[in-house]
Amino acid sequence: MSAIEVKNVNFVYGKKTPYEVHALEDINLSIKENCVTGIIGHTGSGKSTLIQMFNGLVKPDSGKVFVDGKDIWEKPKEISKIRYKVGMVMQYPEYQLFADTVWEDIAYGPKNMGLSEDEVKERVTTSAAFCGLDGEALAKSPFDLSGGQKRRVALAGIMAMKPAVLVLDEPAAGLDPRGRREILGGICKYQKESGTAVVIVSHSMEDMAKYCDELFVLSHGKLLLHGDCKEVFSEGELLRSAGLDVPEIYGVVKAIRKQGADISKYIYTVNGAVDAISRLLEGRDE
Amino acid sequence: MALDVTIGQYYGTGSVIHRLDPRAKLLFVLTFIVSIFVAKDVYAFAFLALVVIASVLISRVPIRLVLKGLKPLVIIILFTSVLNIFLTRGEELLFTKEIIKDFWTVNIYKEGLINAALLALRIIILLMGTSVYFSYATTPIELTDGLERGLAPLKKIKVPVHEFAMMMTIALRFIPTLIDETIKIMNAQKARGADFSTGGLIKRAKALIPIIIPLFVSSFRRAEELATAMECRCYHGGNGRTRMNVLKMKIRDYVFIFLSLTMLAGVILINIYANGYKLL
Ligand SMILES: Nc1ncnc2c1ncn2[C@@H]1O[C@H](COP(=O)(O)OP(=O)(O)OP(=O)(O)O)[C@@H](O)[C@H]1O
Ligand SMILES: [Mg+2]
Repeated sequence: MSAIEVKNVNFVYGKKTPYEVHALEDINLSIKENCVTGIIGHTGSGKSTLIQMFNGLVKPDSGKVFVDGKDIWEKPKEISKIRYKVGMVMQYPEYQLFADTVWEDIAYGPKNMGLSEDEVKERVTTSAAFCGLDGEALAKSPFDLSGGQKRRVALAGIMAMKPAVLVLDEPAAGLDPRGRREILGGICKYQKESGTAVVIVSHSMEDMAKYCDELFVLSHGKLLLHGDCKEVFSEGELLRSAGLDVPEIYGVVKAIRKQGADISKYIYTVNGAVDAISRLLEGRDE
Repeated sequence: MALDVTIGQYYGTGSVIHRLDPRAKLLFVLTFIVSIFVAKDVYAFAFLALVVIASVLISRVPIRLVLKGLKPLVIIILFTSVLNIFLTRGEELLFTKEIIKDFWTVNIYKEGLINAALLALRIIILLMGTSVYFSYATTPIELTDGLERGLAPLKKIKVPVHEFAMMMTIALRFIPTLIDETIKIMNAQKARGADFSTGGLIKRAKALIPIIIPLFVSSFRRAEELATAMECRCYHGGNGRTRMNVLKMKIRDYVFIFLSLTMLAGVILINIYANGYKLL
């Protein structure tokens, strides 16, 4: 069964005003359990709007959203329960921190869930450790941390709620390469260990190629492409027309293929390319 | 959404009203407000209502948008009207009922009903008129520019007109930004299970802390960044500062000011000579 299913969803911002924006048009998709799903699209393509539907922050104008096979808007009063099931780390989450200490901030979500004190303590310690925050950091004020550290606090705050689906809106935006690697790598490790479904929104094709099992491409509020990395990146022309790009390494491999070399069409990570090219070179030596 | 605000919602159509000098518009709104409070006679209100409708039509701002701007204030309008129905004493009694013996009797007079209607009309005309001239047809920049230039003579007596206008520009500029930010932070906390709509007063007030603190933090950050950015561009107050667009009154602006004064005179004359129902 799929973790989240979206059926024929439409959404318009500023309805019946001169500033009407059709942010989502007839979207159908399903997020698989136990894997990392990526959502890509140009700026303003509707990614943030789409994922805010997953936990009921945005209500579709028409269409349905199912979590665990249940229509989330069937009982609007119980929408907050969905928010514990689908954890959401918003774009630039460092601006949502408010508590006196990092510890308190991470504990905010679990406390809202009404967990026992011991349970809260346990969860905060585990998720903080997972996000690389030690005891010293936990006692600090969240406002004294660096941007990257703040983001980890926000992430830990959601992880501590142990959602069945973890959704992240551009978790690596504005971080340096090392910060990106640590955050995204950490999220994928978390996915493998906990078996939750993870959804990552991003602009970066390189990151997506590296970490995602399945991809959805949005363009101007419509679903343009869907498939695993292989399938999506083989549609280079279509991606470029949507203002996106294929990973650069994909172009390199394509150029090698053009020279007549026998190299697979489906290579989109640097490591994959290194393997394939060295195999190619070994073959030539013999 | 409860945060629908029309302040600073410029709606450009390039109409004559849009192109008027902001100082002329300021003067108009001033006379308009005075007219509304001077108006006593039903016909005077009808006349002002016509002025507003004509303004909306000439400005080509969709009437639906202007009416939507009234929505947040419907409660206040209703409240004042209803109070007036019950509190006005007149001559023609329409309805009376003793609710608590010898203590509280509800009397509704014909005058009360008419007064309530006129007061509602007064607020609606006021809001529609000012919003057309101040927010739909004038950008905040033009408005504060006009204010600064219009009040410039006060600089002679050491009133910090420029600083005041600059503060207003910045405040107006950041209203939409702050609203956006509030919505974002609210969503982020809702995603962590925050609940703003149930529980008693204290619980609800407490639930606001996770919104207010980040909002303050980011406002201070924004203020600091803005100050730095302004300093980097050598801003040092109003002295010696020149403008890209220098305001210049044209003939149409003088005509418009003349019309504004005529409107006020008209309202006063109607008050004196017309024989419609008069607001108590
Ligand atoms: N609160 C809002 N009010 C009006 N329009 C909005 C609002 N939020 C988003 N939009 C519009 O909806 C469209 C989709 O926005 P969305 O934030 O979902 O894009 P996005 O794909 O997340 O972009 P980005 O990569 O920049 O985060 C955009 O055209 C945007 O202008
Ligand atoms: Mg976004």
